[in-house]
Amino acid sequence: MPLDSSSYSIAQLSTQAAADGSSYLEMGLTKIICTVHGPRESPTRSGSSSQSPGAHIETSISIAGFSGTDRKRHGRNDKRTQEMQHTISSAFSSTLFTHLYPHSTITISLHVLSQDGSLLAACLNAATLALVDAGVPMSDYVVACTTGSTASYAGDGEEADPLLDLNGLEEQELPFLTVGTSGGEDKVNVLIMETRVQVGRLEAMISVGLDGCRQIRGMLDRVVREHGERVLEARVA
Amino acid sequence: MPSEPAPSTNESTFLLSALRENIRLDGRALDAYRPISLTFGSEYGTADVRLGKTRVLAKIACEVTTPYPDRKFDGIFTINTELSPLGSPAFEVGRQDTTELLLSRVLEKTIRRSGALDTESLCIVAGQKCFHLKATLHVLDHDGNLVDASCLALVAALLHFRRQDIEVKGEDVTIFDVREREPIRLTIQHRPFCVSFSYYHNGEVMVQDATLLEEQCRQGEVVVSMNRFGEVAQIAKYGGAPVDGLSVLSCTTAALERVKGFDRMVTEALKADEARRDEGGLMAELSAENERPTGSMLVGSEN
Repeated sequence: MPLDSSSYSIAQLSTQAAADGSSYLEMGLTKIICTVHGPRESPTRSGSSSQSPGAHIETSISIAGFSGTDRKRHGRNDKRTQEMQHTISSAFSSTLFTHLYPHSTITISLHVLSQDGSLLAACLNAATLALVDAGVPMSDYVVACTTGSTASYAGDGEEADPLLDLNGLEEQELPFLTVGTSGGEDKVNVLIMETRVQVGRLEAMISVGLDGCRQIRGMLDRVVREHGERVLEARVA
Repeated sequence: MPSEPAPSTNESTFLLSALRENIRLDGRALDAYRPISLTFGSEYGTADVRLGKTRVLAKIACEVTTPYPDRKFDGIFTINTELSPLGSPAFEVGRQDTTELLLSRVLEKTIRRSGALDTESLCIVAGQKCFHLKATLHVLDHDGNLVDASCLALVAALLHFRRQDIEVKGEDVTIFDVREREPIRLTIQHRPFCVSFSYYHNGEVMVQDATLLEEQCRQGEVVVSMNRFGEVAQIAKYGGAPVDGLSVLSCTTAALERVKGFDRMVTEALKADEARRDEGGLMAELSAENERPTGSMLVGSEN
């Protein structure tokens, strides 16, 4: 199942000049701007609270009111958003070399302009690009995508055909999961599933998801390299 | 105190090197649980779960309200988690931290989103009156693995709870007192339970039912919720060290076995509780005979 990367996804680096790192990512109709600030000195909220030796990663997600089909205000205290923020922070804290920046904070801010499924996956991909742009050392890209299962959970497992990269409508109807990889082949960093599904379906769904992650990784890598070449050319000229 | 004090370097290295040899500090096998006890309170809908030193109390309450305008045919079901300083000094009153956030989200996804409770059966008059079922979890003692203990307590409490009976005649609704009519059980579609796995040494060592110390030293966790029919309600692995896709799948197989055990335990505990409440059986209830004072009391009254 190839992802049609040419027309379907748009990824850019260094879109915001003032931020340390920034990116813009479209996955289908899901559109996200990500900015990264830091690593910089932690604000002294509570003197000795930082027990971990490495940098602390803070994530904030703001979902625009106009991003969905219905106009809706998304509060910052929405538990679903807070859970996504936690997921993104902890996914990157194991991948970034945080130990190089003791007593520092890296702030990832994600702005969701339009949402049409695969929100968490798109957020993770956008954050990876912005962190690369910011020059924070990391062991590997964190890439994520969603997979769904076509047959409903009541049906038998044989005809279930896994789908890759779901849009908003598909997410409402089908059982799906978000899988994120980092650190080489088939290493699962993030795995979130929120819908009921038979245990037998999982294996196929995860393996299709890992395959999708590999494709997205290649795509992001291409974007990063092209951006690097452009930057180098600008320096030479 | 904003968070639990981190374990000392000595403690954590000792724990990790023991785990490398598949030894846990309390002598359990890697996939063994601490002794679980499940007891029900005298009221319907209270369940008390002890998992080693961890103790969680679930309480269900019910009241009549108006349903949400966009969900006219559904009752309301809310889950509250109360992490008070009683459980651990790291919990502060009125301040939400990550432990509470993740706990409430996992329970929400496991029990509410998977449709374990049929909320339509809580509707009384569409768009006007419905039952609001409030489940509150009190963490009385925190020694790790709050998620599994809380989920077990909550499911047990839901199965134990009985709401007042109602009768609808046109627009008139009568809610019967417990003494007038036998209260009725909730409609539970399936019983999901959470099993959490903590892992160490880049996923080489997987441990079930981690204690607080083990939780503080772990590299990451995978929480799997499923019912005994093998339907997975949710899986959550929030970052942490990356592990093989296969070892996540092996978690679900191990979880299935564990969940079957939980299901059996809850069924047996409910049966024992029912037997305790139903003293004397049907014959005692049907008997018209009043209790007579015994002989010794009669002698006493003569004096």
